[in-house]
Amino acid sequence: MRMACDTGGTFTDLIVEDGTELRMFKSSTIPSDPVQGVLNAVGLAAEHYGQSIDTFLKSADTFIHATTRSINAVLTAKTAKTAFFTTLGHKDILLFREGGRIEPFNFSVDFPAPFVPRSLTFEINERVDNRGIVIDELDDGSIETALNQCRENKVEAIGVCLLWSIANPKHELRVGELIRKILPDVPFTLSHQLNPTLREYRRAISACLDASLKPLMFEYLDGLENRLNEAGFHGRVLMVTSQGGIMDAADVARSPIHSLGSGPAMAPIAGEHYAKQATDEKSVIIADTGGTSYDVSLVRDGRIPWTRETWLGQRFRGHMTGFPSVDVKSIGAGGGSIAWVDDGGLLHVGPQSAGSSPGPVCYGAGGLEPTVTDCALALGFIDPAFFLGGAMQLDEIAAKSAIEKNVAQILKISVEEAAEAVLALATEKMVGAIEEITVNQGIDPKSACLIGGGGAAGLNANAVAKRLGCSKAIIPNVGAALSASGALMSDLSSEFGKISFSSGKNFKFDQINSVLSSLTEKCEQFKVGAGSNSIGYKIEYFVEARYPQQIWEIDVPMAGGQLKSADDVKNLMNAFHQVHEGIFEISDPNSDVEFVNWRAKVSCQIRDEIIDNLNMNSSENQKVNVTRPVFFGKKGWQDTKVVSFEHIELNQVIVGPAIVESSFTTVVIEPGSKSFRDEVGSLIIEVLNN
Amino acid sequence: MVGLKSKNTSDGVQMALLSSRMESIARKMQNTLFRTARSGVLNTAHDFSCVILTADCQLLASAESLPIHVMIGPDLICETIKKYHPDLKRGDAFLHNSPYEGNSHAADHCMVVPIFDDNDKHRFFVLAKAHQADCGNSVPTTYVGHAQDVYDEGALIFTAVKIQDNYKNNDDIIRMCKSRIRVPDQWWGDYLASMGAVRIGEREIEILGTEIGWGQLEKFSSDWFDYSEQRMIQAISKLPSGSIVTSSTHDPFPGVPDGITAKVKIKIDSKNSKIFIDLTDNPDCQPCGLNLTEGTATSAAMIGIFNGIVDHTVPPNAGSFRRIEIKLRENCCTGIPRHPVSCSVATTNLADRVLCPVQVGIAELAEGYGQAETGPIIPAGMGVISGNDPRKENMPFVNQIFLGITGGAGTPVTDGFLTIIHAGNAGLCRQDSIEVDELQYPIHVSKRYVTMDTEGAGKFRGSPSAYCEFGPIDDCSMKVLYTSDGSINPAKGARGGQSGGVAKTFKKDPDGKLTELPNCYGLALEPGEMVASYSAGGGGYGNPKEREIERVFNDYKEGWISKKRAETVYGVLFDKNDQVDFSKTEELRKKF
Repeated sequence: MRMACDTGGTFTDLIVEDGTELRMFKSSTIPSDPVQGVLNAVGLAAEHYGQSIDTFLKSADTFIHATTRSINAVLTAKTAKTAFFTTLGHKDILLFREGGRIEPFNFSVDFPAPFVPRSLTFEINERVDNRGIVIDELDDGSIETALNQCRENKVEAIGVCLLWSIANPKHELRVGELIRKILPDVPFTLSHQLNPTLREYRRAISACLDASLKPLMFEYLDGLENRLNEAGFHGRVLMVTSQGGIMDAADVARSPIHSLGSGPAMAPIAGEHYAKQATDEKSVIIADTGGTSYDVSLVRDGRIPWTRETWLGQRFRGHMTGFPSVDVKSIGAGGGSIAWVDDGGLLHVGPQSAGSSPGPVCYGAGGLEPTVTDCALALGFIDPAFFLGGAMQLDEIAAKSAIEKNVAQILKISVEEAAEAVLALATEKMVGAIEEITVNQGIDPKSACLIGGGGAAGLNANAVAKRLGCSKAIIPNVGAALSASGALMSDLSSEFGKISFSSGKNFKFDQINSVLSSLTEKCEQFKVGAGSNSIGYKIEYFVEARYPQQIWEIDVPMAGGQLKSADDVKNLMNAFHQVHEGIFEISDPNSDVEFVNWRAKVSCQIRDEIIDNLNMNSSENQKVNVTRPVFFGKKGWQDTKVVSFEHIELNQVIVGPAIVESSFTTVVIEPGSKSFRDEVGSLIIEVLNN
Repeated sequence: MVGLKSKNTSDGVQMALLSSRMESIARKMQNTLFRTARSGVLNTAHDFSCVILTADCQLLASAESLPIHVMIGPDLICETIKKYHPDLKRGDAFLHNSPYEGNSHAADHCMVVPIFDDNDKHRFFVLAKAHQADCGNSVPTTYVGHAQDVYDEGALIFTAVKIQDNYKNNDDIIRMCKSRIRVPDQWWGDYLASMGAVRIGEREIEILGTEIGWGQLEKFSSDWFDYSEQRMIQAISKLPSGSIVTSSTHDPFPGVPDGITAKVKIKIDSKNSKIFIDLTDNPDCQPCGLNLTEGTATSAAMIGIFNGIVDHTVPPNAGSFRRIEIKLRENCCTGIPRHPVSCSVATTNLADRVLCPVQVGIAELAEGYGQAETGPIIPAGMGVISGNDPRKENMPFVNQIFLGITGGAGTPVTDGFLTIIHAGNAGLCRQDSIEVDELQYPIHVSKRYVTMDTEGAGKFRGSPSAYCEFGPIDDCSMKVLYTSDGSINPAKGARGGQSGGVAKTFKKDPDGKLTELPNCYGLALEPGEMVASYSAGGGGYGNPKEREIERVFNDYKEGWISKKRAETVYGVLFDKNDQVDFSKTEELRKKF
């Protein structure tokens, strides 16, 4: 038996893979002691199976965990007291960042403080140039002085980034040696080892983030393993990584930057899997709707997209991780987004959110401003008596009166029209986010299918798909815990990269092939190490390339791990031209191509088959032949059939308007659209397009 | 509360939807240009803009474009194109950079594409404006401060030149550019990037028009302008009425031995919600590259207003602009230039000297509004470098670098935004990565950091100056051309705030000897020699003695200000443990 557990801001989702099926459990997250929240979810599962927690856990061999612990620590400035060591003359790398600003006329936001204060930034006397040649010899004295000051300042972690350490790591390695010698208890991170990439800010910020999380995440993961062990678990504890793979928890504790944004990274993996079961579309849009955010990603040809530009907080107002991670675009639109009207009469949804506390007005927990969830309730999409399977009674009257006061009266429209407009605008924001990642990558959303994850996805998945022109929207039955289910499908994986320049026209065969060989060797080592019990593995190779004088590389998949002939290089150059044209509409086929960063990803398969069908039979939801009034735009209030998700037969077609409900989610099928269940239990909506 | 008059219910919804679609189209255009451009000034520093205009040349959507590029200018350019090409058709694309007919300065190459509906009715324009690494000037810089006229400046001037017909390049013009613009392959790559951007914009608007209906889109444009005007009316009505004359002086430059003082007459009419700015009482065009263009003079004054009204949610477009009147004069250095005057530096130096007194004037008229002056530019750390790269078979290189420029002005509620660069681009340009610069060009950057005690003190202080030091690598000679204002006239404070630090430039010999350099200069550097550049700091807003003690303490702890400055300028005293002595501080501050 295997388990995956995703600790989110509001709920802790647990998915149990037992033989041939999955079961889902949800428990409240306990912010003061998240491990207790995990154990509570495990308790619910044990209870379901009629076992003690100890017996239940003894029968499990794998526990995969995703958590918002590290991202929350960064966003609330609760990480370790961290120092930054850098090259003499460049103490303000973390202050300048890469410049940039949003909202040209908004001066109400202060310039962001550097991630490590200047008072804890220390300059090391040394300099290497871009060819790796030492220009200024390293002065050990400057390191010792810095370390002594760290001791006086009770520094708890150190991030090290020296200029051009990617071209010659000698000096960074020496800094590491001396930290180990002088401050043996202080964890540190060397930028060239963690994140070998061009651009000093990105290496510096990732090294400092990583170091700052080490004390905290070591303690957290150690505590998790120990308490799971005490409760009876003796299997392997794995962590989901921001790169969309899984790693041993102990390895993540040594390199905790991997755990930043680990939850959202899994949704694309699960989404891609469920899309493959249901459709032949090559492009899959995965949209995960939470209480406060809407996370979007795009999977093309089965390839999970990645980026080095993940921002913690708002773009240019926070810090970039600089670290490669699954490309998930997050916007502030979710069930908790607040609807309001400005003094020119324009309706807005968000960016303010009622979050999980106080939450929407209808939760009755003190929220006064109407949210998307309140509007869904006012339109009859949600059954106030059956929210989370009836676990929470919703206050419909309060929701309607808040919409009346804050939106409808001002716009001089009815409550229903107001609620519908709010959902339409929320839909439009979500569509905007999706378009930004699809069209920017040259993908026409019409040729893609949409996967809706998260508890609130079903409210407007049909509307979003329709607006995008997608022919299908798919709500997997595990949709409410899409990330956790993705974790169960993931491979044990690791990625290695090395920068080595070569142009296509003057290709350095020996140099590049030896780089590729060294990457292959690292992958093999991973396979015999962490991946030793796996049942299969593969290595994929990529190169980041660009036209001469361009500075932003794009990813080009390689056919294999060596480039033997002129033809191999020519094919790789052609592949680059094609990818460039695909993304940007233009290519320059007569131009040379520059290859910059060579990467290899090893994936070790740790399960023989993917179990993807959720057993929902425990639900109390027994709605058969039930109807309720639901408001559908121009058609007004319609007596609409309500079907329970688990009772849809395999060949049953549900013609909209209809509502499909389970304890975890509500799916709106618009008039004219059709829906049915596929063999793994996903709800497929065939969208009526104009 | 004023609502939109006689609008039916769906407008607030439909408008929100369509404005967000238009903005995202402009963003798509920008993303394409950024990711595919070849020169550092575009692909690293982000010195470009992409906008959408209606067929009657009204600015509709600009996403996050540089304000000095787009507030006014794209409209004038589209009018120029219509004037010379009344027979616009699908597949056309125009190259325009004439400073005499709408553009900002010759280095900003604009690519313009008209967009048609299915019945070939002209509906919109898209425009991409990109600052070139080189534009064929007489010297290797895109800012020729000392140019006596356009002939001395040497830029290739294009006035509404049709560069594509039926989606095909006019290769005659491409060849002209390639034979007159330095590092032709780099220009060609940047041309492709701009063309990609406008063609993506065209495709997206065509899709939108077909989907929504072209008539509906036209109605949206007009509603959106009305809405934006209403928002501007409300913003201005919150200010008190009043008039003030302010000024700001550009340092002496070649051709203008006494510098240029830009005088700005501001009138706020709160009752009728209008702001008037008169820029006519200023000198005629001068024999140097500092003269403004119609676009940059108007835009500069308007940015000062938008910075001053403190409501960033007012959409900056042709609708909100209806509440602003800017008066210009022909043949005036802050007005409308006549050929062959040089406007080579029209987006930055003198433009900021028009912009800043507007935001200071609003601050003086209305507490809680306006800003101090932003730091003047262009220091050597933001200069144009050129030469031949010994690492790449002596291939020529030319590019503007963005190494260390700060200058944010104190505002009523925040300290100066450190990486603002200058008032006209609002910090939307980026700062270079040292590793990227050293990889792309044969330079060595030995230092870059902010300097102590150079902030314009205030209740909300300006940004401190940035220092940077760089030079050519071995076997390389390099030129650095820059036009650094602000070494004599720093950025002034507002409402009792103090001036920011001055700009300075030095040549540093291999033995470390420093020689101070003129502020508008072309420096030749041999291996081992370096240029040392101080950018200007920003002015402060409000009395520094009223600055929150915690902010002063943090500035001291973080090394932005010295202990002495904390005590004498901010009136904050420390005890023997280096902590704030609150009672002594209170006592001292009471005395002022």
